[in-house]
Amino acid sequence: MAPPDNDVLWARSLHCALGGSDALSGVSLGVREGEILALVGPRGSGKTTLMRCLSGQLIAQQGEVWFNSSPVHTLSAADRERLRRDRFGWIDPEPGLVPELTGWENTALPLLLRGTSHRAAKTAAVEWLERLDIGACAGKRPHALSHAQRQRIAIARALVTTPSVLFADEPTAILHRADGAQVLRTLTAAARSHGISVLLATHDAEVAALADRTVALLDGRRVGTVPPASGAEGVAACSLSV
Amino acid sequence: MLALRLARGAHPLVQTRRLLVAVAAAGVGFLLLCTLGYAVGHPERSSASVLRLLWCVLPLAATVQFAVAVARTDPSTRPRPGLSAIGLGPARLTAIAAASTAVACSLGSMVALLFYLHLRGDITGLPFDGAAADLLAADQPIPLAAALTLLAVLPVVAATAAGLALRPRTAPAPPEGAEKPVPSGLPWGIALVAVGLAVETYAGRSGDTDGLPLPGRFDGNPAGVLAGWVLVAVGLAMAGPGLVHGCGRLLQSVRPGATRLLAGRVLMDEARRIGRPLGVVTAVLSGTLAAAALHDAGTGPGAFGPLTGLGAALVLACTTATLLTAALESKQCRAHTTEALLRIGAPPTVLRSAALMRAGVLLAVFLPLTWVVAELAALPLTG
Repeated sequence: MAPPDNDVLWARSLHCALGGSDALSGVSLGVREGEILALVGPRGSGKTTLMRCLSGQLIAQQGEVWFNSSPVHTLSAADRERLRRDRFGWIDPEPGLVPELTGWENTALPLLLRGTSHRAAKTAAVEWLERLDIGACAGKRPHALSHAQRQRIAIARALVTTPSVLFADEPTAILHRADGAQVLRTLTAAARSHGISVLLATHDAEVAALADRTVALLDGRRVGTVPPASGAEGVAACSLSV
Repeated sequence: MLALRLARGAHPLVQTRRLLVAVAAAGVGFLLLCTLGYAVGHPERSSASVLRLLWCVLPLAATVQFAVAVARTDPSTRPRPGLSAIGLGPARLTAIAAASTAVACSLGSMVALLFYLHLRGDITGLPFDGAAADLLAADQPIPLAAALTLLAVLPVVAATAAGLALRPRTAPAPPEGAEKPVPSGLPWGIALVAVGLAVETYAGRSGDTDGLPLPGRFDGNPAGVLAGWVLVAVGLAMAGPGLVHGCGRLLQSVRPGATRLLAGRVLMDEARRIGRPLGVVTAVLSGTLAAAALHDAGTGPGAFGPLTGLGAALVLACTTATLLTAALESKQCRAHTTEALLRIGAPPTVLRSAALMRAGVLLAVFLPLTWVVAELAALPLTG
């Protein structure tokens, strides 16, 4: 079965056992180009495992993952790593910044790892930091910044390579509500203006309301697509250049 | 008992490190017992016996340094989430660290005692029994209390040092990645090295022969030369962090790529942890090289005795092992950064080449330094 043409990332009947229990049992999913898809479900429902399978960090025991009409599940570890580096972005609940590097160096790191020149990487990184309103943090090390600022640097680091798909695993879990809402708004607006597909894992219905579409998971199974409660907020911001 | 239970379930690599501490402790214990044997065998040469005992301080200090380094990297002494809730807080963990260090060192001391008795011929039935009966004064009874006291020195000192090094601090630790101040010991270190070399040259020139005899047959070094060398060693240990920091700074300067940036910054931040043992290793290596040059030139003291060889090997092995353990500790501290890097798709080859680059730069700076210090130290004595 060929994937639908407009699905940039596509998974079919993923089965994945982790730590003796089925983290995923028979999950199928398609992510359309440029859409923001929320994965909702309580803790332990398999959101992170699904995202790790989709991003090629984890190989499911059964099932297939396709990216841009080419299989991911058959790639070698090195190829999956390259795919992750070149086409995917990843945001964790914790920023996971390198403590020895300053804000802009952390942001530029994915570009530097790809072999971009120092000057070009710095320009791009500083540009993204400015867009996310944290230009003042460019020269500071992570320990001197607040949680919200660090998380924004992590977001800038994920966006600086303009990936095809951005995986955001509970990106606002450790932030206060106001900080979290702002971080999410900048994230979704930036993704929309650059046509980046976003997979947003969350257990928060308010966060899921920012998405175009919602997929609910429970105990590793897909349980009926729930439409977002209050429309797709942020669609109007599509034209907003962030 | 908890320390023993935790020790039993540890990873083979951790067990290997503890075993190495035990081996080093056995070596030191054996040296101490040999000193005792000499004292028992030659009651008329008491000052020579005291000097031999004093020379044992060097391997003892190196072993204690190594034992503390191993205790610091021991996973069972690290605060673990969940364990402080059941009462295994920082104070208990310190006690566990001290206890496991004491256990490893006591094990080594016990092996040393058995081996010593075996070489004296008191325990028979194995090859080489009584092989060194003359050297170890087998015809005299060994004073048991003295032997046990000497053997208890290392476990007590090492356990105390480990407890002190890992004691719970009241001041909060600075956040990870906080910019550490540039190590300030470099000028002092260079000054001490220079003064030490000058003292050594002066003492070597003056032809002073009321020497400080060394154990084995390595006698006749003037006391001034030794004092100079000690100053050089302290200076190198002080200059180490500053030099490592400088290496890191150099590595990450002028438009670095990812590898150079990561390698340099990590080296700058780990300067204190890596630099101190690296300085000590440099000092020990240059001392060994100088002694070997002196020996080759034939102007220096006679041949190395077997016990001097054992002591020198112990000091060399312990300081090198301490350096490697410090490197391991720094790697453990950065484990979650490494994980974050791998998650954003950093190829492991980048991390590996960053580590290699760090090692290469340090070797490129410290090997010539070792050679230069060794040459300078040997020059006044051979020339």
